[in-house]
Amino acid sequence: MRTRSKKKSNPLKWIRFRIIMVGTVLGVCFALMVGRAFQLQVLEGKQLQSKAAVQYEKAFYDRSKRGTIYDRNYAELAVSIDVASICAYPGRICSPEQTASALARALDLEQESLLEKLSSGKRFVWIKRHADPTEVSPVRELEVDGIDFVTESRRFYPLKSLAAQVIGFCGTDGRGLEGLEFYYDSFLKGRESSRTVLRDALGRGFTGKGPSPEDKPGHNLILTIDKNIQYIAEQALSEGAREFWAKSGMALVIVPRTGAILAMAHVPRFNPNAFGQYEPWLWRNRAITDSFEPGSTFKIFLGAAALESGLCEPNSEFYCENGAYRIGKNVVHDVRPYAALSFQDILKYSSNIGAAKVGEKVGPAYLYHKLKGFGLGDRLGIDCPGETRGILLPVGGWSEIDAGAICFGQGVSVSALQLAAAVSALANDGLLMKPYLVQGMTDVHGRVIKSFQPTALRQVISSENARRLTRMMERTVEKGGTGVRAALRGYKVAGKTGTAQKADPGGGGYAADKYIASFVGFVPADNPEIVVLVVIDEPQKHHYGGVVAAPVFRRIVRETLRYLKVPPETDGRAGDALRVSCEAPTMG
Amino acid sequence: MKKRKRHPLMVIWVAFMVVFMAELLVYTWCRVQYVRTGYEITEATEEQQRLMELHRKLQVEEARLRSPERIMRIARQRGLVMPDSKQVVVIP
Repeated sequence: MRTRSKKKSNPLKWIRFRIIMVGTVLGVCFALMVGRAFQLQVLEGKQLQSKAAVQYEKAFYDRSKRGTIYDRNYAELAVSIDVASICAYPGRICSPEQTASALARALDLEQESLLEKLSSGKRFVWIKRHADPTEVSPVRELEVDGIDFVTESRRFYPLKSLAAQVIGFCGTDGRGLEGLEFYYDSFLKGRESSRTVLRDALGRGFTGKGPSPEDKPGHNLILTIDKNIQYIAEQALSEGAREFWAKSGMALVIVPRTGAILAMAHVPRFNPNAFGQYEPWLWRNRAITDSFEPGSTFKIFLGAAALESGLCEPNSEFYCENGAYRIGKNVVHDVRPYAALSFQDILKYSSNIGAAKVGEKVGPAYLYHKLKGFGLGDRLGIDCPGETRGILLPVGGWSEIDAGAICFGQGVSVSALQLAAAVSALANDGLLMKPYLVQGMTDVHGRVIKSFQPTALRQVISSENARRLTRMMERTVEKGGTGVRAALRGYKVAGKTGTAQKADPGGGGYAADKYIASFVGFVPADNPEIVVLVVIDEPQKHHYGGVVAAPVFRRIVRETLRYLKVPPETDGRAGDALRVSCEAPTMG
Repeated sequence: MKKRKRHPLMVIWVAFMVVFMAELLVYTWCRVQYVRTGYEITEATEEQQRLMELHRKLQVEEARLRSPERIMRIARQRGLVMPDSKQVVVIP
């Protein structure tokens, strides 16, 4: 009663007391909140931020797309596309046996090896990388927990085996392993980049920071190869090799004025999309990496040295010993016996004895000097891996028979590229050009990053002597010459046949039944557009270059000149050609 | 009737609270828009990636269809042959 009366007596005081109490409590609460906020935001801020980031941020590491390889007309030769790879998290798989069985059925894989992977106890295993879409769908339908799909970039070659040895291929991890893919790997491969994606409560990404994988793709390569000329060369070579049951073959098409390689064909071919199914020796760009004894095609360079020395004229006569000529302990033979032949007829009939006599007149030192000038025995520096030097012994090491045999292309070895490039020098008025396969690089937007211009290496012989030698080479494909099967109606062809015995792998000397047949030439002879070399290894039915390789040369030249719209010379008219069919329906 | 007099401090307080609440709502709206736009950007980026990949695959398909081997095979099926030099007419 007393208190009540007290409250009643002083209500204003009581209200003030309560307000102070409430204010104090609220003030303490506020102070606690501020203190806690200070602790969370300032004292433990960094630590807590990083803890939270783990929950809502996810880092992705990507390798950007590998650049595309184009031919000279921007047709795709090698591209990268996204494909799904199937992986597994063994710890999350309830029944490895059932899962392995289902996957084995869906992917046509061995159940035991799958079970081994799924029971391995590892955190992550690959089931099948770069799976086909037809394989991915049935695995998705299984809806097995612990099986996941990762998008990866895969190299794809849409033209399959076309120029496969030149382009090369990539491994599963996207690194170039052969050919231009290997040589230009650092330019083609995209740079690795990381980006952070923010995730919401459901784990969905809703925004990202950092570069996208499309930001740093690799550069594109623009080749000098023309897919149509490459196809023409490969088809002609395949048919030639098949007709004569040859072991292998190579064909090159070069623009002599620039050194640009339009085609570099090999048989047997391989499909780089499934390179593992082929023997490794087929992967190699043998036109660059392998050397062989060139045989009589080498007489061209002897002829160049002879004319350049001033010691021989096309009409200079040499006695050819009626088919047998002793050099030291060895006897050199001709296919047919000749008594006396002019220098130009030695080339036309491909007389070995005549060539040896010309070589004696020129002298080994000068011959060696000129052969080196043509780039033989040295690397030309082409932008491709594994280029061989070939074998050209220093002149001090030449024996008597070496000096004779080198004149007709035995005892010396060259790569197909060296041979074609050296003949290109003759077709280019004696100026040797550096052969090249890549004419430029572009970025992802098509802007030119780097361009490669034709490079002149040296003037090997004078322009006048190059033209005189061309006239001599034209006679090889005329009636009575060894290369008549290379003659082409409407065009003047300058060329040379070659038939070389192969070294016996079992011992010294040469194998009796193993030959390399070749033909090299250029056309039109007066204003060469292309140099073509055909090399056929171990033909069985015939082995002469004029029989085996010359028809392949003719077919490549005929179809390539039409494709390049080079008008026939015999019309005596130049300029752009418009082709009109008048008998059968045709294709251009 | 006696007019009730408002305390000036109360007016300031109410005004402050209104501004504060409005700022809070605007801020919340901005955050919601940010998240929504984030989703839209993610979707658009994914769509762009999908279309770019489709474009790349179509380019591959085009390259395959334009392969000389395939065109030659079709040409042969239709009876086309390479023209002989006699069939070539050069118009200067």
